[in-house]
Amino acid sequence: MKEGIAAFLNPAQMAKLNRLTLSSRYVVEGTLAGRHRSSQKGASTEFADHRAYIPGDDLKRIDWKVLARTDKYYVRRYQDETNLRVYLLVDRSGSMGYSSSSDLPTKFKYASTLAAALGYVVLKSRDAIGMYIYGEKLDASMPCKNSFNELNNSLKILQGYKPAKGTAGADVMHQIAESINRRAMIVIISDLLDDQPEIIRALAHFRKNLHDVIVLHTFDPVELNLNLKRSAEFEDMENGERLIADPRTLAKEYKDLMGEFIDKYRKACAEMKIDYRLLKTDEPIDTFIRAYLEERKRLSR
Amino acid sequence: MLVFANPTFLWALTAAAIPLMLHMFQRRRTVVTPFPTLRFLKAAQKRSSSRVRFENFLLWLLRTLLLLALGFAFAMPLIRTTAAGSWLSRTRRDVAIVIDASYSMNYELDRGKVWEVCKDAAASIIGGLLPGDRACVYLAAETPVPVIEKPTTEHATVIQAINALKCLPGSSKIDEAVAAAIAVLEQQEGRREREVYVMTDGQALPWQGFRDAAKKDETANTAGRAVITREQRDEISLFALLAGAKAPENAWPSDVKVSPLIMLAGQTARLKASVGRSGSSKEITLGLEIAGQERGKRSVTPLAESEADVEFVVNGLEPGIHVARITTPADALPEDDEFLFLVRVRKQLPALIVGPQNATRYLKAALAPGASDDGVRQIDAAEFDSVDLRDYQAVFLCDAFPLAGQAILRLEEYAHNGGVVIVFPGDRAEISSYGEMHMLPAQPESVENIPAEIAARPLRRIANQPGQVVNFNMSLPPGTVPTVALKRIMRLGALRENAAVLVTAGDDTPLLTGRAVGRGRVFMFTVSADRDWSTLPLTAFFLPVAHQLIRQGAGASVQPPHVVLGIQQPVNEIIPEHREDDVIVSPSGSQLALRDSGNRVLVIENLSEPGIYTRTRSGAETPEPVMAVNTDRTESRLTPLGAAELNEWTSFKKLFVANDPEELSKLVDEYRNGRSLAEMCLWLAMLLALLEWWFANRVLRKQIGASEKLTVDLAGKVVAQ
Repeated sequence: MKEGIAAFLNPAQMAKLNRLTLSSRYVVEGTLAGRHRSSQKGASTEFADHRAYIPGDDLKRIDWKVLARTDKYYVRRYQDETNLRVYLLVDRSGSMGYSSSSDLPTKFKYASTLAAALGYVVLKSRDAIGMYIYGEKLDASMPCKNSFNELNNSLKILQGYKPAKGTAGADVMHQIAESINRRAMIVIISDLLDDQPEIIRALAHFRKNLHDVIVLHTFDPVELNLNLKRSAEFEDMENGERLIADPRTLAKEYKDLMGEFIDKYRKACAEMKIDYRLLKTDEPIDTFIRAYLEERKRLSR
Repeated sequence: MLVFANPTFLWALTAAAIPLMLHMFQRRRTVVTPFPTLRFLKAAQKRSSSRVRFENFLLWLLRTLLLLALGFAFAMPLIRTTAAGSWLSRTRRDVAIVIDASYSMNYELDRGKVWEVCKDAAASIIGGLLPGDRACVYLAAETPVPVIEKPTTEHATVIQAINALKCLPGSSKIDEAVAAAIAVLEQQEGRREREVYVMTDGQALPWQGFRDAAKKDETANTAGRAVITREQRDEISLFALLAGAKAPENAWPSDVKVSPLIMLAGQTARLKASVGRSGSSKEITLGLEIAGQERGKRSVTPLAESEADVEFVVNGLEPGIHVARITTPADALPEDDEFLFLVRVRKQLPALIVGPQNATRYLKAALAPGASDDGVRQIDAAEFDSVDLRDYQAVFLCDAFPLAGQAILRLEEYAHNGGVVIVFPGDRAEISSYGEMHMLPAQPESVENIPAEIAARPLRRIANQPGQVVNFNMSLPPGTVPTVALKRIMRLGALRENAAVLVTAGDDTPLLTGRAVGRGRVFMFTVSADRDWSTLPLTAFFLPVAHQLIRQGAGASVQPPHVVLGIQQPVNEIIPEHREDDVIVSPSGSQLALRDSGNRVLVIENLSEPGIYTRTRSGAETPEPVMAVNTDRTESRLTPLGAAELNEWTSFKKLFVANDPEELSKLVDEYRNGRSLAEMCLWLAMLLALLEWWFANRVLRKQIGASEKLTVDLAGKVVAQ
């Protein structure tokens, strides 16, 4: 049985992801020099501003042209560049275990594969990747490391988890938001089927801490369209509640409600400048990653 | 009353419970399915519960009705049209078939002539009767024609009689035929169901009698004809097959007027032909043929449902009787495309002068100036009995009195039949001998000598008075005042009925009087025809007045150029010169039957065949045309009748109107057995099935939800539309 990244991505898929990079739209704080703009000023080729010379400053940084024009000493300051720290939040709540067809993966499986792909892209860009796994509680947290071994270990841990019974998504998100001190990129892979206002508040918490947040809202296609042919007794996957219904007769109202649910998240994310994406488990992951990262790269130029 | 032909299948109605049972059964067999978004399902169920319940109810209703309709269709429900319908299909019946025999029945349809369609339909009705049912057949013509007078159970004989029927050339009166048929049905013993079937082309004209009767009191004088009572209209079933065209097109020559009425050789004839049109306005070309030769063509465009006139001018007609015809182009009704008439051209008008040579000398010279003219014959009064007066247009009596009583009777008969008698007095007879002739305009009273000093008198024509029967229209030569010198004059008493003074000598002395007698005229001069009483024969006035008198008399007795078919036609009006030994032959070659209607007036019995009739006189070898007979063209104006009008006119309570034999057959079947609702139930089932399919698949499944309005691109970006 394959383990680690090999359990989620085959070499062909990895080859497709090789040249991709995940760029942050905001200033981040890293530990290593890298491609991403840092909140710190430091040594790099990108000019930031001038500052008055004070004793102790490196004489190489004195801007002699300014001295010639003004007879005052100014030193040149440059934008510091750092690496990106990306945290993946993978939801393993009860609802993530749903798959409408044997041909389609469960939402949890899909989210895990997506996490592996994103982790691979991040590490290939020499950025750091960390991971949080949560269900009814925060199940595991892996710190940010710039190492394929660490990613492999994280994915092995993820592989060992199965969807939980319930969900506590909002609480866990608040907890994670408190635990990440420096500005980073937060990627949430979840169906967000929890108390919607609480989830939105948790997302706001991430933004308050100046994190760059990406929400990958994952659904099975049947969840969106309710295109089931037969009436059945439906059982809730988290609280065990049951309901006898004919999906054909309820489709219109169901779709309306689902549309309202998604729309509310979409608008809240737009207001908070959170990148919101809707994913269906019948879409190939590599296609999505490729399209998404290309678009992100285009927008960051 | 609703009954079922297959009541066993009513058990199938229990199938209507199937949708409900299936619904309940399905609910129990639910499969537990894990689902992550049950919260939305619950909310959706709450939001849609009333709509879903209503849609489910509609679906259940549609499916239940569908199965009910199928169950009913298999049970074959029938609606009885009458309260006593349960035994209608088994009861014995008396049936009368009335077939419209008017010539418009020859209208050609796509499926053949209306006449043949109606005959086939009638035969089909008889063929559908049960053994023991009785049937009689009547033709609707001008008077009802019984074909099978008494109802009979010999259906094969009746069908044979129907198949042998031929359409008649005239019009028809359906009301009289129906009344006659009902009267016969009423006379039959035993209480049976009575049905009358009218097979017609649906033109309004033959039904007019019903409308007229509806306006009149039923008890009004009907001249011995059968009358349909209110009770009969309520009780008897009347089936009408209106098999004719719904928008018929027809053109026909309807009349010809020939002028002048008396045509002499060398004169120009003017023929005014009328042409009628049913249907849309269209150009019609009329052709004129005289004695087998085409003499002209004229085109005219009569307005829709109207008539137009066309004039033909014909020259160079030889003396004789010429057969002429006006034709219209061939159409769907060929029976009325030809109009026959006779053009009589005379060499001159024959006249008989009765009296001694010396009294008639001037008159004969005036009427026959060539001396060899055989149109004028002079005889003595003694020879009068040997002369046939019908050979002459006018008889002049010049000093011919006294006449034998028999001669006076012959003269009166001659005048009544259209002849002209002109009387000149003379010296031979006593004044009293004129009194025996009661047809004179006035009673002669005396003969008076006129003194020489007041002998010269100007002639004055008395203007025609309003209502005057005898008119004298000859104009005197312009600018001249003819004068006559009187020596002796006959004084007259009071004028008789229909008499008038036409010319006076001086202011108030009558010179010429006239009187209408029957169809003829009697004129009387108060002076003699020779020079003994006056200088009248020597005036320029004498010759034209003699000719005018003959011509006027001839105009009164002129033969009509054509005759319309009729029940009875008086011979003396149509053929004034008819003799007892004449043989008149119809176009089909049969001898025409004449009947004495009393007082020696002959009538043609039932002139029913259109065409040219010929006469062969005793001693003559070749027959000559004597009469052109045409059908009355009123029937040609085709005006289809609607079922609503028919219902209003006939006011039969049980009236069934069909437009084709198949519909009639269906109506009869429905009437006798009841109206089948099975077909209607099947149609309803099909409609419900379609509705159910549409509702279940289109309405319920194709609702667009809000989520389908969201577009997600490859990069997972949601774009609201």
